Amino acid sequence: MTATSQPRQVSVKKNFDQVAWTWMRYSAFLLIPLAWGHLIWQDVVVGVHAMDLDYAAFRMASIGWKLYDIFLLGFAFAHGMNGVRQVLRDYIHNPKTFQMVSYALLVAWLVITAMGAIALFAINKPVGS
Amino acid sequence: MSYLKTTLTGYAGYRGREGQWTFLLHRVTGLGVVLFLAIHIIDTSFVYFAPKLYEEVLAVYQSTVFGLGEIALVFCLLFHGVNGLRVAYLDMFAPKDWTIEKTRHSAKIALIVALVIWVPSAAVMVYRILHHNYGLFGGA
Repeated sequence: MTATSQPRQVSVKKNFDQVAWTWMRYSAFLLIPLAWGHLIWQDVVVGVHAMDLDYAAFRMASIGWKLYDIFLLGFAFAHGMNGVRQVLRDYIHNPKTFQMVSYALLVAWLVITAMGAIALFAINKPVGS
Repeated sequence: MSYLKTTLTGYAGYRGREGQWTFLLHRVTGLGVVLFLAIHIIDTSFVYFAPKLYEEVLAVYQSTVFGLGEIALVFCLLFHGVNGLRVAYLDMFAPKDWTIEKTRHSAKIALIVALVIWVPSAAVMVYRILHHNYGLFGGA
């Protein structure tokens, strides 16, 4: 072996958690306009007292809001559930247990996201009209 | 369970001042938002799966107790966002500002910015609750 002062170039394949970390950061940037926009519009400008079933169905049927909600659903809940996973990592130190909890969170994420996505895609005209 | 106890007593006893409080607030607000989000995705899907039930969901949303929770939720999302932007900015553009003195300062600014956006939003929501639920300001 020869001694060298040159650092050796190595390429390391990113593991899941590095990818997840990158996802957390960049989804966060998208969530500033998406989630804040949703919150300010629905809770402050419109307000829950102005809503009824027709309002919700009409909104979900319109293509613009549908697209907006698809992005919001995809980015916000994945960001949140991975956040829960990172928080739990601080309290669960057994790798086996942590892996089981991670899979449980994955299943919960998939089921709830699927419920939201099915409803979003299924409603194409206002309910009851 | 002992790990949980260790961590929680560590949180309570550690005197990290602004940095520590901001870390805890970021964590609590994030957990609060994701808990609400899980409920909110499910209840919104009722528009399709159970429209009758969705009308009951809306009645709950319009109640005073839920309205107060909604005002807290708005704070959680605003603070989590502002503080997240602060962390990302320091990380990506100004890593030299990751010093105790400077982060103490920027943590305070993040809280103030979140409050400045939250207070008028909360005022509107309090007004709506008083108007619709208590008949004040000309409400029924």
